Amino acid sequence: MTNRRNFLRYTAALGATTALPGIIGRAYAATGAMTVGIPVPISGAFAANGKFASMGAIIAAEEAAANLGVDVSTLDLDTEGKPATAVRRVQDGIAQDGVKLFAGGILSSESLAMGKEIERGGGVFMTTAGADEITGSDCNSATFRWSVPTFGAIEQTLRPIIDAIPDAKRWYTITPQYVFGEGLLNATTNLLAEKGLEHVGNSYHSLTEKEFSGYITNAIAAKPDVLLLLNFGSQSSDTLRQAISFGLKERMTIVIAWASGLEQFEGLGADVCEGVYFGAQYWHNVDAPLNNALRAKVREKYDINPNYSLAGSYICTKLLLDAAAKAGTTDGPAVAAALSGMAYDGLTGPETIRAEDHQVMKDYYLLKGKAKADMQDADDYAEVISAGQSFLSPADSGCKLG
Amino acid sequence: MIYLFQVLNGIGLGMLYFLLAVGLSIIFGLLQFVNFAHGAFYLLGAYLTYDLVERDISFWVAMPAAAVIVALVAGLTEASLLRRIYKLPHTFHILVTVGLALVIQEFVIVVWGPLGGSVATPKSLAGVLIIGDFIYPYYRIFAICFTAVLAFVLYWALERTRLGAIVRAGSESTETMALLGYDTLRINTAVFAFGAGLAGLAGALAAPIRGVEPFMGVEALSVAFVVVVIGGMGSYVGALAAGLLVGVIQSLMATIWPEGARLMIYVAMAFVIVTMPRGLFGRV
Repeated sequence: MTNRRNFLRYTAALGATTALPGIIGRAYAATGAMTVGIPVPISGAFAANGKFASMGAIIAAEEAAANLGVDVSTLDLDTEGKPATAVRRVQDGIAQDGVKLFAGGILSSESLAMGKEIERGGGVFMTTAGADEITGSDCNSATFRWSVPTFGAIEQTLRPIIDAIPDAKRWYTITPQYVFGEGLLNATTNLLAEKGLEHVGNSYHSLTEKEFSGYITNAIAAKPDVLLLLNFGSQSSDTLRQAISFGLKERMTIVIAWASGLEQFEGLGADVCEGVYFGAQYWHNVDAPLNNALRAKVREKYDINPNYSLAGSYICTKLLLDAAAKAGTTDGPAVAAALSGMAYDGLTGPETIRAEDHQVMKDYYLLKGKAKADMQDADDYAEVISAGQSFLSPADSGCKLG
Repeated sequence: MIYLFQVLNGIGLGMLYFLLAVGLSIIFGLLQFVNFAHGAFYLLGAYLTYDLVERDISFWVAMPAAAVIVALVAGLTEASLLRRIYKLPHTFHILVTVGLALVIQEFVIVVWGPLGGSVATPKSLAGVLIIGDFIYPYYRIFAICFTAVLAFVLYWALERTRLGAIVRAGSESTETMALLGYDTLRINTAVFAFGAGLAGLAGALAAPIRGVEPFMGVEALSVAFVVVVIGGMGSYVGALAAGLLVGVIQSLMATIWPEGARLMIYVAMAFVIVTMPRGLFGRV
């Protein structure tokens, strides 16, 4: 029943609720400081990716500080590549350091876990992890993703290769058994079935595996035309290195569906990469205004070309800070609202953030390793064969945000 | 046929695991010392090989040079630090050697960076052996043969030479050896350096197969412990048998149950601990 006392109580509560985002919203302006948590693996098998991610975030923070005239800092949170550790680090970041903005999560398993925690803690999270579920069936109001998910990565990697080598009928896959690998494998089997190609076998492996000769022996026995590696980072490098030592480059086409970019080429070397196809989220030579600017900044600050880990972290941090500036707050829901539907000039050209599932619409690249003699400079490891966009619709991705 | 291929591949893998673990086993046998820095010496051996090859030094020079440098580093570490904690409980051994492993790992990152790299297979061993459907890299065949010869020489040296007799006697009773006038401190240092040098040699040999990356020592250490536990702490023959067993299990499981290939080597270890707590060839 509505009486005068209740009406006043409801009005006061409504007023307070309405005013709260504004009060908190101006918090960073009042304190003159913003902190972005960078939850990435700084130790363990994926530590190299984390180190570059940290460097990219610092550049974005410095840019924002200069543009906004406030202190902007980054806080590295070592996830060790483990979901449980990642969640603990994020909890600590929220509770102890008051962090609301998070950019990171290189592995899908940790990103899925962190996204839920950050949503609970009233923050907002931008990630580069790949599993379809992040902006699909497990999407949430606080999680955004810059990278093309596994579906688009397979579409943009495999279709051009299938067109280029129509005689390659038999495909063999080596897959890490976790959500990211499953996503890539699922997209691969669907595409091969659609094209009438034969998936002659798959070897799963654990996330800690380093010895791939047994899986390569399986692949040799299946006599494929194409060996498709669906693992990531040092695991895909180890698999490729060992496959080449078994002479597979001379016997079949080798494809890495999701390369970790320039850092992977540097680790492998030009001789290993020559003639191998790589799917990639980012390439430092892409001619886009923001990418050209980033390349210049990274060369000036670190004397290297930006790689995927660095660039991905840079753009995630930048987007969060731009959205926080637009919203006038670091409060998660307000920043999320500012991010939803945002269109901007990104590292791959014009990019937009789809409001229905928080997925960034951007290009994915197919690269092919160059011979050492054809390299124009020390980092010119590959030529861009094709670029394009493939995304499931929000309805097909299973995201219920909208 | 695929299972035969996997057994052959597993033998190759097993020989590498033996080389990796035998130094750990010898060190434990003589010193009763749990060396958690063993994987770090493997890491250092791999990176030294990488560095030397990058400087256009022949792999055939780089490989033994890396092993010798690692042995020298280990000998100095033993003489200056580790010998002070031998008499302390195993907890201290673990704390100090884990710390040492971290120091070496960070040193590698500082000097060579976090990215890792590839070591080219020596030109004379490039290419593969093809017999029917079986394909196997020449370099891996070399690694098997090299390790097999080394295993025989090691066995002969430990079992048939005066030096080997001293080492074996030391593993039974250091006090008796000291009473007989032997310089046990020097023997300990030499054995520790030799065991670590073998880990460095394993790293050097593995570098063209697996490349190098700063965290490879952690994985190597876990495999070495599995091999030593299965074979029996301090047993040379045990390390050889267990290395081969682990290699064959891992390779066969890559076909039978690929996702569990890694897991099964730990299951094998758990089985041995439960049924034969001292390992296959452990001393009673």
